[in-house]
Amino acid sequence: MQSQSTLPEGAYRSSRGSGEDRLAVLRHEMEYLNTIGKRFVAANDRFQVHRALLATLQELYSFSACAILLKGQQGDPFELSIIPRYPLSASFLQEMIQRIARAANIIDFPKVTPEELAVAAYLDAPDDLALMEPQSPLGGSEIGDFLHLPLAVEDRIIGLLSLFHEREGIFDTQLLQLTRIIADYAAIALENMRLREREQALWREAEFERRRLELIISSMAEALLITNAQGAIVSLNRFAEQLFQQAEIDTRLEPGVPLRQLAARSNVPWLRELTHVVDQALTGQTIKNQELIIGESGETVPLTLSISAAPLSQDSHHPLPSGAVVVLNDITDRKQIEKLKDEFVSVVSHELRTPLTAIKGYTQHLVRRLERRLRQQAREGREQPEPPESYDLRSLYIVQSQAEHLERLVSDLLDLSRVQWGRLDLQYTPFYLADLLAEQVRLAQANTEQHIVQLDLQVQDSKVIADRQRIAQVVGNILDNAIKYSPQGGHVTVRLESTNDAFLVSISDEGIGVSPEYLDHIFERFYRVRNAASRQYSGIGLGLYVARAIVEAHGGRIGYASNQQGMGSTFYFSLPQSPNSAETRQL
Amino acid sequence: MSLYSSDTSSADSRKPVVAAYLEVIRLLDDRVAPLLGKVTTRVLVQGAARRVAEKYPFLHFLERIPYTEVTPAIAQEQLGGQSPQELTAGLNALLEECFAGLKELTGDLIVTPLHDEVTRQLQHMSIMS
Repeated sequence: MQSQSTLPEGAYRSSRGSGEDRLAVLRHEMEYLNTIGKRFVAANDRFQVHRALLATLQELYSFSACAILLKGQQGDPFELSIIPRYPLSASFLQEMIQRIARAANIIDFPKVTPEELAVAAYLDAPDDLALMEPQSPLGGSEIGDFLHLPLAVEDRIIGLLSLFHEREGIFDTQLLQLTRIIADYAAIALENMRLREREQALWREAEFERRRLELIISSMAEALLITNAQGAIVSLNRFAEQLFQQAEIDTRLEPGVPLRQLAARSNVPWLRELTHVVDQALTGQTIKNQELIIGESGETVPLTLSISAAPLSQDSHHPLPSGAVVVLNDITDRKQIEKLKDEFVSVVSHELRTPLTAIKGYTQHLVRRLERRLRQQAREGREQPEPPESYDLRSLYIVQSQAEHLERLVSDLLDLSRVQWGRLDLQYTPFYLADLLAEQVRLAQANTEQHIVQLDLQVQDSKVIADRQRIAQVVGNILDNAIKYSPQGGHVTVRLESTNDAFLVSISDEGIGVSPEYLDHIFERFYRVRNAASRQYSGIGLGLYVARAIVEAHGGRIGYASNQQGMGSTFYFSLPQSPNSAETRQL
Repeated sequence: MSLYSSDTSSADSRKPVVAAYLEVIRLLDDRVAPLLGKVTTRVLVQGAARRVAEKYPFLHFLERIPYTEVTPAIAQEQLGGQSPQELTAGLNALLEECFAGLKELTGDLIVTPLHDEVTRQLQHMSIMS
């Protein structure tokens, strides 16, 4: 940029003339400052700022070179640009760098050595500002005069402007103030360039991230869609598009239309469920792995998706989500495998039950026969200290006990199938819950000599209408676990309390407890906590799953609570006093 | 060269020393800030304080507090534990470092007349106290 300004006479001198003269001087000063301001504002990059600076300074001084040292950003401690007006000798340059380093260390600048500066220095020589014919091929070897002015923006020093000349007495005190004003302009322009460069770098980074994300989303095996705060789809990948095509909805044709409006016009049932999930996410909730059946209900295993949705939050100042992100995962294959597994388990369980019934029946028969024989021997006085029948009887007791255990397992497996296919039929009869609990406590105590099982009844009247056998199964399953996981001599307490129209049964033990990370899973089927503490206990992970299904089928709830002092567990379940009260409560 | 000399030894004699240097710093501000700007003048004094703080640790506070914000109360609080001799030596060193820094930046443009002016003022105040 060539200078278009003319330095006003006396612009930097004290103006003591008449009012008219002072006004003229002021006008000249303002015009001059306006001209140099425009030069810096027009600069589009740091090299143009250098040129503007050089052009302006040339109007004040004759100098050999100017240098701009800037504090670095992001790892670089500093940046040094040297702008010679004509070729300089090596010794001159060397001395320049030494003086710049010394001046930088005087002001608030990171410690810098001349050697570091020499390595980092960048020579920037604008051709059109260079003198056409230097007086000698190379300038002088020594610095005659110099001036360093810190470059400040607001109250920060961002760098240092340095001017050098071979001759002495070049720089003038009277021009110092004006030079500082020019340095201030340059500082602001350089800072703006830095901010612009940083902004551009951030944009490039953001664009790169955007493309990367786009690629990830488009190559995802899951369907993904993003909505705005109104629930209108703003972005979706190919799989999500295919999903909507299946519902005969072309989201591209109706941009900005909220999903709930599309669902209202459609006969596709799953679209309403999807809308519901999106609406939940838009209120700030996170939904995880909710099943969404897309296929026809008549199919053996309909197309099933697992849907997860989360709110898109802007920042802490905007508590309401700016949209929702929804991921749909095809889990039909998993469902098919589960179905096959359930069918297999169901068939095997049925097949096991028949021989098991025979084993149990014949074992019982043999037990009775041996017991009779022993009684007869006793009556006839033929009693021996250790008759062979007593050995056989003990063996048969073990067979009987193990057959019963096996029967419970088979029963759990059969119940699993029933629960899976919603065929858990309940036989409601009136009975006293306290009696059932007492019976279960007796049975449990009979099976363990190493634990103390006790009953704590907090209610007088415990009449309930429920499936007695099933509730006994729930209590039995929880008690089995409580005893299994309790140390020898541990106490297991069964407590009965009542709340408005329901009973609350809790079973506490002094066992190993359940770590918080497993709590979400302990009621899942076939789930077993896998850690060192639980490895020694056998089981197939169905007891709690079946218990939950039974309790929920009664309209109750089942849960877990850690005991105080972190010792042992408490499992509890609520049971409505009658099926009617369960319905009332659900309403 | 000592810019200011103190022959007193009592604790009360700290006050005129501190007052004299506050005046001098104000003089520096008056002369340097219009030419180099307030920020540069501030970092010049802070840089000088940093360089002399190893020998005169009581001047360390000038690295944290800008010289323009140092009131007589703050100065008394920060410098209260020093003898007038130590104080004088430290403040002299601080001024010399300020001039050295100024010389490094602008050569003889500002330093020579300002140094003479400061010396005159301190000598005058020394006589007055």
